[in-house]
Amino acid sequence: MREVISNFLAEKASKDKNFYVFSGDHGYALFDEIRNKAPNQFLNTGVTEQAMIGAAAGMAKTGKKVVVYGLACFVPMRVLEFIKMNICYDKLPIIILGDGAGTIYTTLGASHQCGEDVACLRTLPIKIYSPADKFEMKLSLEEAAVLGIPSYIRVGKCDKPAVHQENSITKLSTNLPILASNNKTAIFATGSMVSTGREIATKHDLTLFSCPVLSYYDRTEFLENIRKFSNVITIEEHSINGGLGSIVSDLIAEEGLNTKLTKFGIRDYFTKGCGSYEYAIKYHKLDSESIVDSLKDKGLI
Amino acid sequence: MSNPSQLRSTILKMAYNAQSVHIGCAFSIVEIVHTLYSNFINIEKLKKFTSDRDYLCLSKGHGVMAVYANLFEIGLIKEDEIENYFSDGSNLTGLADCHVPGIEVSGGSLGQGITVATGIALSKNLDKCDSKVFCIVGDGELNEGSAWESIMIAAHRKLNNFILIVDANSYQAMGKCESVLCMESFKAKFEAFNFETLECNGHNLDDLNSSLSILTKSKNQKPKALIARTIKGKGVSFMEDDNIWHYTRLNEDTYQKATSELAK
Repeated sequence: MREVISNFLAEKASKDKNFYVFSGDHGYALFDEIRNKAPNQFLNTGVTEQAMIGAAAGMAKTGKKVVVYGLACFVPMRVLEFIKMNICYDKLPIIILGDGAGTIYTTLGASHQCGEDVACLRTLPIKIYSPADKFEMKLSLEEAAVLGIPSYIRVGKCDKPAVHQENSITKLSTNLPILASNNKTAIFATGSMVSTGREIATKHDLTLFSCPVLSYYDRTEFLENIRKFSNVITIEEHSINGGLGSIVSDLIAEEGLNTKLTKFGIRDYFTKGCGSYEYAIKYHKLDSESIVDSLKDKGLI
Repeated sequence: MSNPSQLRSTILKMAYNAQSVHIGCAFSIVEIVHTLYSNFINIEKLKKFTSDRDYLCLSKGHGVMAVYANLFEIGLIKEDEIENYFSDGSNLTGLADCHVPGIEVSGGSLGQGITVATGIALSKNLDKCDSKVFCIVGDGELNEGSAWESIMIAAHRKLNNFILIVDANSYQAMGKCESVLCMESFKAKFEAFNFETLECNGHNLDDLNSSLSILTKSKNQKPKALIARTIKGKGVSFMEDDNIWHYTRLNEDTYQKATSELAK
C-alpha cells in the first residue's frame, strides 16, 4: 500500500510541475521516490503541522495541486481547526494523507495512536477515504486527485493481505462486495478491518462489503445493501463513535429499518499497556477470535 | 484615495450601523492599510485578481473594517455593503473572511491567516513571480505558536517577498500585552528569526512609506518584518489607548462625538 502512495506521488510530481507534497518532517522512506524524481516538489516544513496546513492552503489558493502528509494523530487531529478554516472553508482541493491511523504505533503509546480522525472529520465538508488494500488505495488517490474538493485518505495498517484480486475493481464505490452469501447476516468493514472481516466471513459463510468511503458516500447504495440483511455487523479500527458504525447506525435509525446492528471498533479510548499491533488489536477485541466469540454470544453465528 | 480621517469615518459609519465591536482594532491599522493600498499594492491587478497581484493578508482579522473602508475606496466593496453591514444574509463579516473579494485569507482565528499568507508567498517565490505578500498581524496575535512556525518557514525558505507588519498597539483582548504575555522585544525576536526588521510609527505616513520602501526594495533573501508602533483606537480622543473599544458599541452620542472629531 505504501508503495502505491510513493509511486503515485513521484509520478504525479514528475508529470506536473505544479504538483507539490508537504510533510511535517514525517514519512522518511515513503518520499524517497519523489525526492529522487522531483526533489523541489517535496517540501518538508519541519515539525510545524499547523503552519504546514496553512502553507499548503496558500499554495492551493494560488493554483498549485497539493498533497499534505502527516501522522493521523497530528494531521488531522492536531490541526483540525486549520483544516476547517484554511482548507474546508475555502473549498481547496487538497489531499490530506493521515498515516498510521488506528493502533499501529502501539509501542509508542497513546500519543501516536489515532482512533478519532474519521469522527472529527465527518463534521466537515471533506471526502474521507479509508482504503483496505493497495487496490483501494490507488483508486482513492486517483479519485481524490480529480475530485475538486478537500479529501482525507486514512492510511491504516498497510501490510495486511489484499482483499481484492488484481484488476477486480476499477472504480471505488460505497460498498465494494468482497464475499457473498445467502446468510441474512453481513459484515461491513473498512480499512484494515476488511481483511479481518474476510477471515470471519469466510469461516462463517457471511456476506462482506468493504466500505472505502466514509463521507460523501452513496446513501442509496448503502441503504440498498443494508436492507438485504437482518443483521449487520460493522468492524473498524476506529472509535465506535463517529465512524463506520455510526454511519450505518444513522442510516438504520433514519430509515426506521428493523435491521439489528452490532458494532466493533475501539471502545476503550486508550490502549492500556505496551506491546505489538496484535496485542493492541486483541486489547480492543478487534481480532477475529474476539469478534467471533462476541458474535457467538449474541447468537449471530 | 481618501485620507485616514475619512477612512475612519467610514469605519465609524459601519460600526454604528451594524453595532459592531472591534473599532479600536480597526483604528490602529488605518494608516498601515491606507499606505499599502496607496503606494505598495498594484490596484489594477488587485481589481482584476491577476495571479501576479500583490496580496494583503489581514491575519488579525479583528481589524477588518479598516480593510473594508479601503476596498470601498477602490470599488471592490459597494456602498450598500457598507450601509448594510451585518444585515441578514450580507457578505461582510465582523472578521476577515476569504469569501469577500479582496480579503485574501480568513483571519478570524488568530495565528491562522499568517500561515496561509506564508503559503501564498512560498508559491509566488517558487514561481519567481514579483508579487509581494503583505501580512498584518497583531502583537497579541503573536502569542500563537502557529505564527512562529510560519515565521521560521518564511526565513528558512528565504521568502523575501513576504512582508510581515506587526500592528504593535500594545493591547490584546484582555489587557496590555506586557501584562498578559510579555513578548517584547519584537525587533530582537524577528532579527533572531532571520527577518530583516524595522520599527516605525504606524500612524506616520512618511515613516510607514519610507520603512516599507526600504523593505520592499531590499535585495537580500530575508523575509521582512515591520514593527509598526500604533495606538489602539487611534483617531478619536476618547477611544485612544482605551481597550474598552475592543468591545464597546457606539451609541448615538458617542457616534456623533467621534464623527465630529474626525471632521475637524
